[in-house]
Parts: sequence; C-alpha cells; structure tokens
Amino acid sequence: MWVFGVKAAAQFAAAVAGAFLLAAAVAALPASGHAGSIPGYLAAWLRQMDLAAHFDFGTSQVSGLSAVTELTRGLPVTLELVGAGALVAVILGAPLGVLLGTGRRLRAAAPLVQIVAAAPVFCAGLLLLWLSKRFLGWQGAGPMPFWTPLLHGDPAVAIGFKALALPALTVGAAGAAAVQLALRRAASLAMEAPYRQGLRLMGLSGFEIDGNYLAPQILAGLLASLGEIALALLSAAAVAEWVFDWPGAAVLFVKSVALHDWSAAALVLLVFAFITIAADFAGKLAAHAIAPEEVWA
Amino acid sequence: MSAPAYSSSHPADGEATPAAGAGLRAAIRTAGFVGLALIAVLVGMSDVVAPYAADALHVGAALAPPSALHPFGTDLLGRDILSETLHGLAITVDYAVLAMLVTLLAGGFAGFVSARLPWGSGVILRWIGGILGAVPALLLAILFIGITTRDLAPLAAGLAAAPLAFVRAYDRAGALARSRHAEYARATGILSATLLRRDLVYEFRDTFLANAARALAAVTITLATVSFLGFGAVPPHRDLGLMIAAARASYLEAWWTAAFPALALLLLILFARLAAALEEGERP
Amino acid sequence: MNQSGSFLRLRDIHVGRRGAPRPQLDCFSLTMAPGEAVVLLGEAGCGKEALMRALSGVPLRGDEIGGTLQFGETEPERAGRRLSQLRVAYLTGPRACPLYPNASVLSQLVRILSTRLDAPRSSARAELELVLGRMPAAPTLTELDKRPAKLDAATIAWGLFATAFAQTPDLLLADHPLTGIEPVKMRAFVDVLKSEQKRQGFMLLYAAMGTEVPALLGGRMIVMRRGRVVEEGPLSRLSGAQAHAYTRMLLRDRAPLASETPRTAGRGEPVLQIYDLELPSTRHKSAARPRDRLTFELRRGAALALVGEDGSGRHALARRIIGLERVRSGRVVLDAVDIGILSETMLTRLRRRVAYITGDDHALDPRMTIADTVSEPLRAHLGLPRDIISGYREAALKRVGLASLPGTRPVATLSPFDKRRLQVARAIVTAPLLAVLDEPLSGLDAFAQSVMRDLLRVFRAEEGPALLLITSDFSVARSLAETAFVFKDGAIVERGPIAEMMSAPKDISTRTLVDAVRMPETPSGGLS
Repeated sequence: MWVFGVKAAAQFAAAVAGAFLLAAAVAALPASGHAGSIPGYLAAWLRQMDLAAHFDFGTSQVSGLSAVTELTRGLPVTLELVGAGALVAVILGAPLGVLLGTGRRLRAAAPLVQIVAAAPVFCAGLLLLWLSKRFLGWQGAGPMPFWTPLLHGDPAVAIGFKALALPALTVGAAGAAAVQLALRRAASLAMEAPYRQGLRLMGLSGFEIDGNYLAPQILAGLLASLGEIALALLSAAAVAEWVFDWPGAAVLFVKSVALHDWSAAALVLLVFAFITIAADFAGKLAAHAIAPEEVWA
Repeated sequence: MSAPAYSSSHPADGEATPAAGAGLRAAIRTAGFVGLALIAVLVGMSDVVAPYAADALHVGAALAPPSALHPFGTDLLGRDILSETLHGLAITVDYAVLAMLVTLLAGGFAGFVSARLPWGSGVILRWIGGILGAVPALLLAILFIGITTRDLAPLAAGLAAAPLAFVRAYDRAGALARSRHAEYARATGILSATLLRRDLVYEFRDTFLANAARALAAVTITLATVSFLGFGAVPPHRDLGLMIAAARASYLEAWWTAAFPALALLLLILFARLAAALEEGERP
Repeated sequence: MNQSGSFLRLRDIHVGRRGAPRPQLDCFSLTMAPGEAVVLLGEAGCGKEALMRALSGVPLRGDEIGGTLQFGETEPERAGRRLSQLRVAYLTGPRACPLYPNASVLSQLVRILSTRLDAPRSSARAELELVLGRMPAAPTLTELDKRPAKLDAATIAWGLFATAFAQTPDLLLADHPLTGIEPVKMRAFVDVLKSEQKRQGFMLLYAAMGTEVPALLGGRMIVMRRGRVVEEGPLSRLSGAQAHAYTRMLLRDRAPLASETPRTAGRGEPVLQIYDLELPSTRHKSAARPRDRLTFELRRGAALALVGEDGSGRHALARRIIGLERVRSGRVVLDAVDIGILSETMLTRLRRRVAYITGDDHALDPRMTIADTVSEPLRAHLGLPRDIISGYREAALKRVGLASLPGTRPVATLSPFDKRRLQVARAIVTAPLLAVLDEPLSGLDAFAQSVMRDLLRVFRAEEGPALLLITSDFSVARSLAETAFVFKDGAIVERGPIAEMMSAPKDISTRTLVDAVRMPETPSGGLS
C-alpha cells in the first residue's frame, strides 16, 4: 500500500508540475498571435513559470481583470455543470454498465449502446433544447440559482431546475457513457477470474461471491477510471456551456483563445488538467485500497 | 527419429462452442465497415449525386420544409440542405481522415516506438503525453488552432487526439516488452530490433483497423465541435459542424435545417465506432 | 461423518457440453464403499473434471448432465445437483486460483466453512483452527490471514485441506489439490489425507494428473481417457505387465529408481565454465552467512541438474549463467567468451546457441503462429532462404509430433502440452550448444509428462548440447541428467552423480528430495 501510494503521489506531483509548465507555456505566447523569436519566447516562458509559481497568470488584455478573477467567475458555473452531470452519469451509467457488463447476452449487445453514445455532445444538447421547447415550452435561461433554493425549500427552485436540467442531462449523458464503459471493462475482466467458479465449487452461493468479492472488484475498476470519467465530464461541460449559454470556464477559454488573450486560457487549461489529474490520482488510490492485487492500466 | 505415435491433444473436443457474443460482435464490426465504405462512396460521388453545387444560394424559398423538390428542405438562405449536407459530409470526411492519420502517426505509432527508446527519453515523452491527455481534446484543438490558423483544423484535431493514443500505445508496448514471452525471446538470442518488428507486425495486424476506426470517431467529434464553436472549417468550405452552427438560429422553428446535417454526422461517427467495436479497450 | 456405512452408487453418469460433438464423460458407473479411496488418473480433458462437476452439484453453464446417484438406501436421484443426504466437500489446489485475490485467505475459508456448516463465523473459525491444529505441518490461523499472492502454494493448500476436512463430509472430491506442490511437500499432505480419512471415514474421489500421489495414496485406481474408463484396479495390478498399453504408458516413469545406466559425461569440448561464481541470495537465507561460491565446467553432451525446492536459488543461478542477470563476482564463460565483458546486444547474439525450455506456459508469444514460432530463430539468426527454413521447421515439428496441426494456428489456441512441445521444436532448429531446461514437466499430466520426457531424452541424444536442468523432482533429474547439485536455501549441500545420490544420499535435504520421489510400494512386476 505504501509503496503504491508513494509512487502514485510522485506521479501526481510530476503531472501537476507538468500542467504548470504547460500553463506557463501558453501564458507566454505572444498576444499578437504570430512572430516572436524562439529565445524571446523561452525567456517569456521562464518569466511566466516564475509568475505561475505565485499563482499570477497576468491580466486579461480584453477585460482588464486579472485572469484569476475571471476564472473565479466562470469556474463555479463549470463545476456546477460537472457536479450535476456526474450525478446523472452515475444514476444512468451505473445500472447500464452493470447490466451490459455482467449479463451474458447483453454483453454482446453492448456495442449497440454506441448508437446513443455516438451523438456528439453539441448535437445531443441541441436536440434536448429543441425537445424541451417543443413539448415543455421551456426557454434556454442560462444559469439560475438551484442548490441554495433547494436547500431552503424556496419555490424559486423550479426555475433553477429548469435552467439546470438540460445542461446537466447533456453532460450527464456523456458522463454516463464513460461510466458504463469503465464498468463494462472492469466487469468483463472480473467475470473471467477463476475464483468465481472456485468459490462456488467450495460451497459459496453465487450471490455471496458476487456481493462480497465481485462487486468490490468492479467498483475498484470503476474508481481506477475516475480520471477518464472526469475528462469526459469536463469535455461535455465545455460544450454544454456553449450550447446552453452558460458563461463558464470553457466559454472563457474559447473567447480568450479567439482573442489571443492567453493568460485566462492558460489558467483554464491548468485547472482542467488539475481536475483530471487529481481525479485520476484519487481514483487510483481508492481502487488500490479496495483491490490491491489488481494492476490498473 | 520417426514420427511419434501419439497424436496431438484435442483441446477442441468436448469444449463448448465459442460464446454467442463473438458472432454478433463480428457482425457489428462488419456493419460498421460496410457503413463507412458506403459513406466513402457517397463522399466520392458527392459532386455527382448532389442536386446543386456547394453553397448555391437561393435555389429555393428560404426555410422551405422537406418536399419532393428539396427532400431535406432549404435553409435560411434558400440553400438545398440535401446538397449542402452531402458537400459538408465530404469536407468533414476529408478533414477527419487527415486528422486520423495524424493521430495514428503522432499518437499510436510514436507511442509504440517511444517505449523502446533508450532509457529516459521515452519516459519524458510519456509524461508530456500524460499531461496533454489530461486536458479535454476539444480545448487542445482550439488552442492549437488559436496559435496557428483555422486552415490547420484537421492537423489540430489530429494532434489533440494524439496524446491519449500515445499514452495507450506506450503502455501497451511497455507491457509487451516486459512480458514473459519477450524475456523468453531474449533468453534465446532474439534481438530487441526483431522483437520490436514482431510487436509492430502483430499489433498492426490485430488492432490497426480498430484503432483507425476509433481515432476516426474521436477526431470527427472534435472536428465537428471545433467547427460548431467557430474554430474549424473556413467558409465557403462548410463542414457539418459549421452547418449545424449556422442552423442554430433557425432550427427551433425549422427542424430540418439542423436535423439532416446532424444525422449525417451521427451516422459517420456511429459507423466508425461500430467498426472499432472494441468493447473493453475503447475510451470516450 | 459417514457413520451410516452407506454405499454411494453412480450409474451411467454422462456429461456433455451444449453444442459439443463428443461428451466429456460417457456412461460412467462406480460404486464406492464407506471410507474407500478411488483415484481417477488421466490426461487433462479425460473426463475426471466433468465427473467432479457432476458430483459437486455446481455444473458449468452449458453442461448437460445425465445419470443417477444413489446414497445408501435412498431413492436414486438425478446427477448434477446436490443430494440432500450426501454431504460433499470439494477440495482443489492453489494452482486453480480458487480464491479471491484481494481478500485474505483466512476470511474466505471461514466464510466458506460458515456457509457449509450453517454456523456463525466465530465457530467456523474455531473449527478451522481445530483442524489446522491436528495437521502437523499446517500453518496457524494468523499465518493464513494474508492475501493469496503473499502466501506460498503449500500454505494455501493447507488452508484448503483444513476447510474441506472441517466440513466432515461423506464424500470428499479432491480435484487436483496438489498440482504445483513440490514432491518434497506432497507426502505430508497425503499422510494427512489418509489419517483424516481414517478418522472421519469419508469416501475420497481423487483426480490426479501425475502418478506420485496415487502411488502414495494407494486404493482403487481408474484410468480414464477421452471420457471413458480405460481400466480400473489396484495400483499393483495396473503397474504390472498385463495392464492396458495406455496405462503402462502413464505409469512407465514409476519404474524402480536408479535403474538407468549412467551415460558417459563430459565427452565434448567445454561449453560452459563457471569460475568462483557467487551464488545469488535468496529470500530464505540470512544475510549474515557468507554466500557459497561455485566453480564447475559443463562439456558438450554432459548434463547437470540443479535440484532443490522453490526459492532455493536455482532460477537466479540459471539466469546469471545465460546472462539475463549480470554477474557481480566470479566469471561465466559461455562458448569460450566471458559474458561479463559483453554488451547487452553482444550477449543476446551469443545466446543464439542457447536453447531454453521452460514450464512457463506464457513463454511463447501467443500472437505468433506455430510456423512462425519455429522459424523465427532461423530467420532472425541465420537469414536462411524460405524453403530451407520450411524444411528445417517441418522436420522439427514432425519430431515433436506437431506436424499434423496447421502451421497457421496461433500459439494462444494451443494446449499447455502443445506449447511445451513447440518449445522443444524451437530449440531443435537452433542446434544449441547449451540447453537450459527450467522445470520442463511442471503442470503437465502423466501422459504429457511421459511424452515430454521422451522428447527431451531424444533431443539430448540427437542434438548433444550441454544440458542444464532445473527441477525440484529427482525422478526428472534422474531421467535427463547424470550429475546434480542439490540446493538448499541458496547454498549447495551436495554434488555428484545422481545414481549415487539416489542410492546413498549424504545430506539430509538430498534425502528428503530423494524420498519424495521414491514410491512406497514398489510394483511387483516391474516394467520392461
């Protein structure tokens, strides 16, 4: 356990350091979009590294605000989408993955799920928007407070729900695809293990074996894929922000890149990379704690 | 010595028939490749099949619903959506194939070879791949395009999908190099160059088509999304993503403006994913 | 406990797989008396596994089971499900990996026992402790409280044995419980099995691959092949000259020990010279003791066996000799070249004339075809033209009996026996100077072992390489080599001709190893 933990922590640290270097490299790009000598760029990169070490990513040349301020406006919106999407992803993806991964006949049919998963996120978002407008009469509203009213039993929760439901569903569908895939992969590996037949022959019931041994093994496989799932959720949230007019971090990124305003873009890249890397690290540790003998790719 | 009197053992005897799933899976893969082939034919003949030239304005009334004259209807500028979809599909496929080749080369192949580089260099490349792979491919592609120009969108999409492919190929090659059969080969005097060639040949044979199809699906999604966000194809070359973006203003009232390009896009991605049919190995 | 003195009658047991052309077990009938031991002997797939499944009441999906079981005076019941009156305990070995890898062995055994005894965990645990306590070499409960990968095979096997005995069964199904256990340790298990059977009076149905355990266990033996019974009877009769040809083939290697005439060793030029090589450290050895140093010479045509238990340092030594691990002190001269001064690439080139045959079933690349596997050394080392390669390849495949298989078949689809023979074919085409045989017979059934032994003998006689054999089994060493070094905890405790060691072992470890393969009841008839 300790050896694994130290190794994983070292990899985590190396990856975070790398993400900082990447962000500094982006922040050092010349604002004009072109030109600039290589030595000049390298000097700028070094300067940015020094600044980034103090969490200073410079000031946006468009809005005049510091990059960190801009991010603190956009990031909560993105995180809300990712969080709500993760909830939907688990609710939709977990049963689907378990069914498709463990049912013998269903396993073969799993590629058919692709028909749903094949829709790019923006197509799915547009379709949801169209359906809701057509049949429910909803209008795209942008972010509205949802969680606070929900906690306080405020009637404004309905408006918040309407605003959140569609983007969350869009992100959740993409996340669910990733969750069910990770589960299927873990289940198909676990199902081949010889211990299931061995323990059954020695007298345990299939129910006991699956509940005590198979389920943790599959859960560990799911946790080991946490980084992948986080990446899918972030990607989907980036598109959903655009489709549903939620001014989050990804919209900030797109606008910054379009205007060659690199400081905010660098910070968004750093935060996104950090979320994925941290999820991967935490997932691997948890997976190792549950199933220490498995080797996760 | 004469041939021994015993026969080979019979593992096939008494064994059950292979899982029913294997046949279905093969059928699904075949369906995927057939679909891709059909799309390729359609794309090759798009100039002949399409009733109107690309970007031909005002060939019908604006926002006319599907009819015998315009089976897919017309858009805000009176363009025939059937023709536009065919041309858009052709451009999307062209770009996607280019991007796929970039991914396979800069991702899969490079990753496979890097794992055998002298100690140090491969690990650093793997580290860089891991960091880039932690950023959504969409943002990476947008960043590349932002640094360069929109004309390089296929290259950008290909490079954006490369880190994950690189990491996967690197890890696979590493596992093969450490495998017991590799050690056995070294113990009997097989040089590493021969081993690398062996791995390349078998990996290419066993996984190339599936990897290519998977890369095609991934870069198609990235390319279409990038175009949808306004970073991809440059008008008058309108690909499917750009068409759907343009239809955003009208599709709530005239569904056909977005539905048919989206359907074409979906079919392309679906066939590519079915052709990959890598149940366990694929990634979102 | 089988106090009722009831007989168990199996009638016309039939096991088929859905969609398979041939049944795995056909018309098997058997009557077992209380306290009787019956051994099933045959190759993998001969039908004994299918019988175990049918009797355990836990068939695989797709099994079609027919026939009836009758215990005592009850009505005959259909085979394939658990009988209400008959308590069956299933015992398998660590090689089958029957336990969940991520949980402690003890917790799993306790869970099994509490389910089978329908008792709370604490009493199941106490029961297990009790049974472990009356087995002399068995580990304690605390020692078992680790994940399977952290324990050695014998320790896990003790746990599995204890769990089976604690169930006080009427019928004990022993499904290859000692496969992968070294011969030295086998005897203790068989002794416990016998004493528990005497104590509890259960019927024992023992499925075996090799002949070691049946010989120790005694009792009735049933020889099976391809789903049918070849013949049955006591071991003494089956190992006589009147037995069926197949039975004689299986039992041939039980011929009286030390019967082979020693070959003349050391006739050729020296292939391998070892000077003052430090023996590798092992996990058993205390670091304080200075390590032994080794000097010897192996000539063409000579054969040396490194005999010892697992973890006694033989593998590490062999890896150093062929340069897979670097030597820290001492010199290894292979084919007149000191391998210590060679670069990695040069060393690999030197190993072209080294054949390596191992008991590892993952040694061959599963993606390669049969033909590729054999021709690769010829192509990679010599760059011969295609037709010459195919000539050599076909000849080699014919010699090992694989010529009838299509050359395009991937290695992954082959049985362990076929893979092992393919390794021999690959070794043949390289015309080796030195052959390293690393537990070449491990994990094979009696038939396959017998064939492999022949193949290796012929390989040795025709190719004449210097031969280095690693084994824990003196009977294997005897049939393939003349001299031996006996290892114990990383040190060499005895060296000399095998024939002498077998008749008069000097060291206590040698005696243990020799005794492990010396059979208790020497067959009366002997074999030609």
